Amino acid sequence: MAGSGAATVPRNFRLLDELDRGEKGSADGTVSYGLADPSDISLTNWNGMIVGPPGTPFDGRLYTLAITCGDNYPIAPPLVRFVSKVSLSCVNASTGAVEPRSFRPLGQWSREYTIETVLAELRREMCQPNNRKLPQPAEGSSF
Amino acid sequence: MAELPKRIVKETQRLMSEPAPGISASPHEDNLRYFDVMIQGPVGSPYEGGCFKLELFLPDQYPMEAPKVRFLTRIYHPNVDKLGRICLDVLKDKWSPALQIRTVLLSLQALLSAPNPDDPLAEDVAKAWRENEAAAMATAREWTQKYAQ
Repeated sequence: MAGSGAATVPRNFRLLDELDRGEKGSADGTVSYGLADPSDISLTNWNGMIVGPPGTPFDGRLYTLAITCGDNYPIAPPLVRFVSKVSLSCVNASTGAVEPRSFRPLGQWSREYTIETVLAELRREMCQPNNRKLPQPAEGSSF
Repeated sequence: MAELPKRIVKETQRLMSEPAPGISASPHEDNLRYFDVMIQGPVGSPYEGGCFKLELFLPDQYPMEAPKVRFLTRIYHPNVDKLGRICLDVLKDKWSPALQIRTVLLSLQALLSAPNPDDPLAEDVAKAWRENEAAAMATAREWTQKYAQ
C-alpha cells in the first residue's frame, strides 16, 4: 500500500466522489445521502435517508440517519446513527446508534464499502424476518 | 507492490528541486500520488498576502486523466465552491497528458489573478462579482485576511 504505484484514493477525494453520486441519487431512489452542512470542507457529517421497504412494517416511512466519516475513513468505517426512531436488532434502542458488532458491513468493514452500501444494507435489514416481527415506534418520533 | 510511474517520480523531483515561485507541492509519505499544495495569493489580486492550502491527487489513469485538485482553505472566488471544488478548463475538458502538475498549479495561480465570473461554480459569488466587482474583491480580501493566514 504505502508508496505503491497503484492509486489509493485519499479520504477527501473518495468522499467528494461519494457526494457526487449522492447528489445524483441512487438509481432506484430507495436511499439518499448528502453533507449535513453543504459548506463543511472537512466532509465529516452526513445525512442519510432510507425509504422503508414495501411489504414490511417500515413501508411508507422515511428514516433519517446521521453519518460521521472520521479522519480515518474509508480505512475505518463511518459512525452511523438513526435519528428517526426505529426498532432493528442492530440498532441501539436508547441511542439509535447502529452497532458494528451486530451489523456486518460496519463490523467487518472494507474500504470498498461506501455510505450508500451502509444505507442499502440497513434497508435490507428491514426486510429480515427477525426485524419484521419487532413492534415499531410511532411514525415521526426521534431518538 | 506496483511501482510509482516514472513520470510521476520525475514530476515530483522537479516540483521539489525547482519549485515555481509562490507554489509548493509535496507528496504524502504514505501516498505518493497525494500532494499537499500551498499557493501564495498573487500580488495585485485580492488574494495577495494569503497562503492557500490545496490537496492534489493523481488518479490511476494519470496522465491520461487530469489530477484532482481542491482548495482546503476557504476562498471567496467565483470559480471555487464552498467545498473548495474548482472549475478550471485544464482540470476538465482541456486536460492533456502534455500538461503536468506544475502547469495545473500555475493555472490555478493564474485563476486567482483572473477570476472568471462567466464560467462560475459558486453562482452567488459570480453574481456578486458581475454586479459589483469592487465590493466582491473587498469581500475576497476580507476572506483572505480571515482564512488564509
